[in-house]
Amino acid sequence: MIDLIAQSLFSGLLSGAYYALIALGLALVFGTMRVINLAHGELVLLGAYVSYTAEERLGLDPLASLPLALMVVIAANMVVYYLISLIKKDRELNSLILTFGIGVILTNAMLMIWSADIHSATTPWYHDAVILFDTLFAMQAELVFAGAGVVLVGAVWWWLEKTWYGRALRAVASNRDAAKLMGVDPRLTEILSFAVAGLLATVSGLALYTAKVIQPSLGHNLTVKAFIITVLAGIGSVPGVLLGAVLLGVVESLTVTIASSALQELAGMVLFLVVLLLMPSGLFGRAKRRG
Amino acid sequence: MTNAIKLAIFLVLAYGAVPLALGGNPYVIGLIVASLTIGGISVAWALLGNLGGMVSFGHAAFFGVGAYVSALLTMRAGWPVFPAMLAAGVGAAIASVATMPALRLRGPYFALAILAYAEIFRILATELKSVTGGAAGLLSIPRLPMVLGIDFGSKLGGYFVILTIVLLAMTGYQLIRRSPYGLALKAMHDSEDATKVVGVNSTMLKAWMLMVSAFITGVVGAFNAHYINFLEPDYAFAGLWTTLAIVSAIFGGYRTVTGPLLGAVVVYLVDQLLFKAILPQGHQIVLGVLLGAMILFSPGGLMPLLVAKFTRKEASHAA
Amino acid sequence: MLLELDGITVAFGGLVAVSNVSFTMAEGDVLGLVGPNGAGKTTLFNAVSGLVRPTQGRARLLGRDLIAMPIHARARAGIGRAFQVPQPLHELTVRENLIVASRFATGRIDNERIDEILDLLKLGHKAEAEASTALALTEQKALEVAKALATNPKLLMLDEVLAGLETAGKRAFMHTLDAVRARYGLALLIIEHDIETITRLCQRVIVLNFGKLIAEGTPEHVFNDSEVIRSYTGGEAA
Ligand SMILES: Nc1ncnc2c1ncn2[C@@H]1O[C@H](COP(=O)(O)OP(=O)(O)OP(=O)(O)O)[C@@H](O)[C@H]1O
Ligand SMILES: [Mg+2]
Repeated sequence: MIDLIAQSLFSGLLSGAYYALIALGLALVFGTMRVINLAHGELVLLGAYVSYTAEERLGLDPLASLPLALMVVIAANMVVYYLISLIKKDRELNSLILTFGIGVILTNAMLMIWSADIHSATTPWYHDAVILFDTLFAMQAELVFAGAGVVLVGAVWWWLEKTWYGRALRAVASNRDAAKLMGVDPRLTEILSFAVAGLLATVSGLALYTAKVIQPSLGHNLTVKAFIITVLAGIGSVPGVLLGAVLLGVVESLTVTIASSALQELAGMVLFLVVLLLMPSGLFGRAKRRG
Repeated sequence: MTNAIKLAIFLVLAYGAVPLALGGNPYVIGLIVASLTIGGISVAWALLGNLGGMVSFGHAAFFGVGAYVSALLTMRAGWPVFPAMLAAGVGAAIASVATMPALRLRGPYFALAILAYAEIFRILATELKSVTGGAAGLLSIPRLPMVLGIDFGSKLGGYFVILTIVLLAMTGYQLIRRSPYGLALKAMHDSEDATKVVGVNSTMLKAWMLMVSAFITGVVGAFNAHYINFLEPDYAFAGLWTTLAIVSAIFGGYRTVTGPLLGAVVVYLVDQLLFKAILPQGHQIVLGVLLGAMILFSPGGLMPLLVAKFTRKEASHAA
Repeated sequence: MLLELDGITVAFGGLVAVSNVSFTMAEGDVLGLVGPNGAGKTTLFNAVSGLVRPTQGRARLLGRDLIAMPIHARARAGIGRAFQVPQPLHELTVRENLIVASRFATGRIDNERIDEILDLLKLGHKAEAEASTALALTEQKALEVAKALATNPKLLMLDEVLAGLETAGKRAFMHTLDAVRARYGLALLIIEHDIETITRLCQRVIVLNFGKLIAEGTPEHVFNDSEVIRSYTGGEAA
């Protein structure tokens, strides 16, 4: 039993790092523009499908397809940004409906292009097992992308806290007009945050493709997970995203071990509602008031 | 043309001409029934959105709860179908009480919290196997009954039932909208403090709207269960119910009472008759395009836009 | 006592906007509340009508604890309020504004009273006009008072409803307020900068400066008080 729990905690940690990758993109855009991009999960999936096509058609290793996937996903996210920026009135809610629509478009486009079949990476290296400390099991892909998750979250945190761009981004987030007066072009920083979100989505997509399976209908679920984590984290906290993601990963994984795999999603949803209703500023948020 | 005449013409068409013309074509009647079902959810969704100022991504929750309540009452407790459908509305309204803590959340948070509730309800329906039959679902749910010689269990009978449900829902919506409750809700959007200061309990009013919306959705869900005689959690709580309702309401104009129904009929029929034929897989892409285009170019809906264009032309002719 | 405030304090983070303010009003009283810009007058109104929660202190209306009540319950208990910046109920007509106020604060729509109020405040000709777009400034201010009156208040709180009107408009509005008082016999709590207006309307005045109550008494007495004069000239210069 102890072994099972230990394995479960370990798997939860690994998924947590991978969830953090997905959530950080959503949280970043939310933080800068107060827009929840409901198509974010579909973008993750798009990255995964580009990688799948590259592997299938060109025999490329999934990691080698990264540049191609990056171009596609970031370009797609630029289109999303452009469309959102066309909204003039009531942006918070209208952008929600708009990106929901974009999600529907992407899901169905992927369905048309790649059919409803389930795929996963065929390069065996990714699925090879690694045993740590004699007892803990992981796939190589899980380790690679958990590592990538931690590194990228750290990088984004450093970028936001320590660089000029990051500060400009945060300035735009807290007060668009004041930022303008300081000589920061809000549009540019918003575009930047969408580009970085696209990058994070692409890497998450590769993780999804190599460590799990892909199917066009999964995108929505990924967005919901990312949003749950954003709420757990609280607005504006990058380390919070990592902690929230790990929390979700561990809770899910323990639920599967102790109860049943059918209850995995339920655990996440209940955690989400409890935090949303009882702690409106999130577990790690620095914003005291919401919006 | 006065509104009363318009209404009379509409009723004659809906209850007389449509069944006469299409009654012999079960496929088309089936499509129309499905579109009215979506219209019902859409009206309920728009009521919450327009009067309550709340966007919900989780109306499938109330649809599913209504479907299960009615199916179980008739199958396990031997209730007659029509009372069970009403009880299903009440059941969905009660389920909405569970979601009320979310009312104090703003905009997107509320929208997504309701989505979480829908997921939770779906998982519960899957897991409570002893009650709901779990993922295998419920088979042979009782058909709508024969009353006064009319077989409501037939396709055409179902048409009359769902048409009546939706029209009653719209009537209720209109009555609320015209009442002081409707006025207070309308004022609340842009002047919440001022509304409270004259004695309006805005949280309570929103809670009522959520309950009314859930009630309507629950009854529609119950109708659907008895109409297709089959339920499973992934179907009853499918996000598609919400998506279609939102697209219809946004397309028809969610700030109007008739818009959501018109939107549902147009969107669903065009999707099924036209786009499904052209794109057998992924035809719902059209829904996404519609939704995006409407939000960007005419957030008030297509119907209001057309009406405005039309009346403007008339006015300039008159001038 | 109609209204009893006891040690009301409102702090926004470090800024103490209202500091330990206590006073009482009897039924039918007309009390003026004056003080320089930013003195905390509106904040005090907010504390009484429920829009902000005092950090300390108690407030009672006819012996009932107000602080525990949500905003709408205070309106039903008898607190009527006109906002400094007019806040008509958007998208409704003038009459509908009063219908909502009457229905939700008193439990029924008192059409007779609504017509009477429209008449008293000279809004009859605008009854069917949209409140948030079709009213001139004087009419917007009149609607603020009308809305509050439609809630059938025991205490009517007016936040600078005369500010921004020219002399003739001011005079007319003061007559209207006299008529309102004569008709409904309610108590008035009036925020106003114009000393002449206050002197003309109120039996008693209290003065706030930097959130503190610094003087209280008849208008003649208070406006000759040296500290009050200093606070005003100092406040004006700042
Ligand atoms: N919600 C709030 N948050 C933070 N500070 C506030 C808030 N409301 C008021 N204040 C501050 O409290 C102080 C008192 O403001 P208040 O509006 O009560 O003044 P006032 O006496 O009504 O002034 P005026 O004559 O200009 O209307 C001001 O410094 C104001 O900036
Ligand atoms: Mg003020």
